[in-house]
Amino acid sequence: MKSINSHSLLKFLLYITLFIILVPVLILILWTFASRWPWPKLLPEVYSFRSIKEVLSPHANAFSTLFSSIFLSLTVAVLSAIVGTMTARALVLYDFVGKRVIDLLSIAPILVPGTVFAMGIHIVFIKMSLSDTLLGVIIVHLIYTLPYSINIMKDLTDSIGKEMELQAYVLGASPLKSFRFITLPLLIPGLMSSISMAYIISFSQYFITLLIGGGNVKTFSVLMVPFIAKGDRTLSSAYGLIFIVSTLLIFVLIDRVFKGLSFKTRKEEI
Amino acid sequence: MNKKTPYILIIPIVLLGVLFIFGVVNGIVQSLGYIPAFGLKSITLDYYISILKNPIFLDSLKLSLQISIVSSILAIILGTILTAALVYTNHTEGRVIQVIKLAILVPYTIVALFLISILSQNGLMARAFYKLGWISSQGEFPLLLYSKNNFGIILGYVWKEVPFVAYFSLSLMNSVNKTLGEASENLGASKLKSFFYITLPLSMPAIRKAFLIILTFSFGAYDLPFLIGATLPKALPVQAHIQYIHPDLRHRPYAMALNGLILLITWIMAFVYYLVTKKKRIKGEINEKY
Repeated sequence: MKSINSHSLLKFLLYITLFIILVPVLILILWTFASRWPWPKLLPEVYSFRSIKEVLSPHANAFSTLFSSIFLSLTVAVLSAIVGTMTARALVLYDFVGKRVIDLLSIAPILVPGTVFAMGIHIVFIKMSLSDTLLGVIIVHLIYTLPYSINIMKDLTDSIGKEMELQAYVLGASPLKSFRFITLPLLIPGLMSSISMAYIISFSQYFITLLIGGGNVKTFSVLMVPFIAKGDRTLSSAYGLIFIVSTLLIFVLIDRVFKGLSFKTRKEEI
Repeated sequence: MNKKTPYILIIPIVLLGVLFIFGVVNGIVQSLGYIPAFGLKSITLDYYISILKNPIFLDSLKLSLQISIVSSILAIILGTILTAALVYTNHTEGRVIQVIKLAILVPYTIVALFLISILSQNGLMARAFYKLGWISSQGEFPLLLYSKNNFGIILGYVWKEVPFVAYFSLSLMNSVNKTLGEASENLGASKLKSFFYITLPLSMPAIRKAFLIILTFSFGAYDLPFLIGATLPKALPVQAHIQYIHPDLRHRPYAMALNGLILLITWIMAFVYYLVTKKKRIKGEINEKY
């Protein structure tokens, strides 16, 4: 009897948590479509698509910024997965000079807040003419996504091990070929979560993008935050909703691409 | 296979790592007052000393510590309860986890927007209070945002970090529970006892790591205090940025000294974590032996 009670208490807590997570998102949707919502009304008086139309209108530049921003974050995410996989393989499968330094380096950005690093590197980037450029922003984003990518790929590489790839190598496949046909298909779930994770970290960055991009590199976050700072609820909610929906769509896309990939490699095997 | 292979694999991380270290060291050097481009050439600790004597900066330091400690302790307790709720009600995958992931996906900038539309003096909470007759005007609703109590900022961190803690420690707690937790229940321990004596202690490595991550993050984060923080005192990173963009370039070393202070405290937090886990590990080894 007692255990049934504690079970239903936990269930109750779980539902409250889900409620607290979902309610703000629902309010965000309401604000997006509210054209009039005066005090002290609990629901909007008039609904319209005005804010979405305004955000997506050509003069707001949000639509083109959204796409260039998605492109930027996908680039960061893919690079992060590639560098993460390479670093993870070096750390898990090989012994080399400076291994502990690399291991420490791979988690170090977690212990240096983005603002501190961005202000520190800014002058260096100006001297290297990397500031105000897309490449500069990609580099600083990459530094902050890599700890997560390396961590995910390390766990997976560790669990797969080296044996299967070695076997293919012994049987005469080139190292590259044995990696491509044996290890890569096994790495797909890790690559997928690494890319999703890095994408959301990059897409959410505000401060370091603003400082290093210097207004030249506009991302969706950089465009959205001034509206939140001003307290314009309708427009900033529209930006927020587009942010969340576009991210969910990208996640679906990443999922599809990787499901397709693993299907393809399976077919090739047959 | 090939002796050169690992060195080829680490080329990109080494390049990025050098850049990273260069950025951090460059910031520290500037905090010591060495910025030749601005005509500052002597190395000194004066900037650190003067920020530690300045009441405005000291208030910022207190504020940042208070926000990060209070929000992280709340988040780790509630997050552990959420993890347990997910594990014991068997919701370790599926729709419930998707909702948890949604909270992880929403950036802090949008969390600020949530807080503005719910907690401000004409937000939904105030409207509900008005409807219930608890307050008779907007002004009577307590000031929770842009205020010195930092209620909004702390709530914002808790909102995002509770799901993070759950997501981070879920797999460990689940596997511990499925194996040793259920075994102890089969041997006659009550659910509560097996949780507090078996499952929770063995899940602590993940929970401790999650605590370090949210503690250091909320201490050094910019977005929430920038968007919904009080005019004074400001959180350390926000204060540092204000000094950084000051038109008088001689303020630059103050910005960097504030950053140096943030780094120092973050690293102290990490060092304490390292000491605690090291001690635990040694203890664990002894326990295993006997």
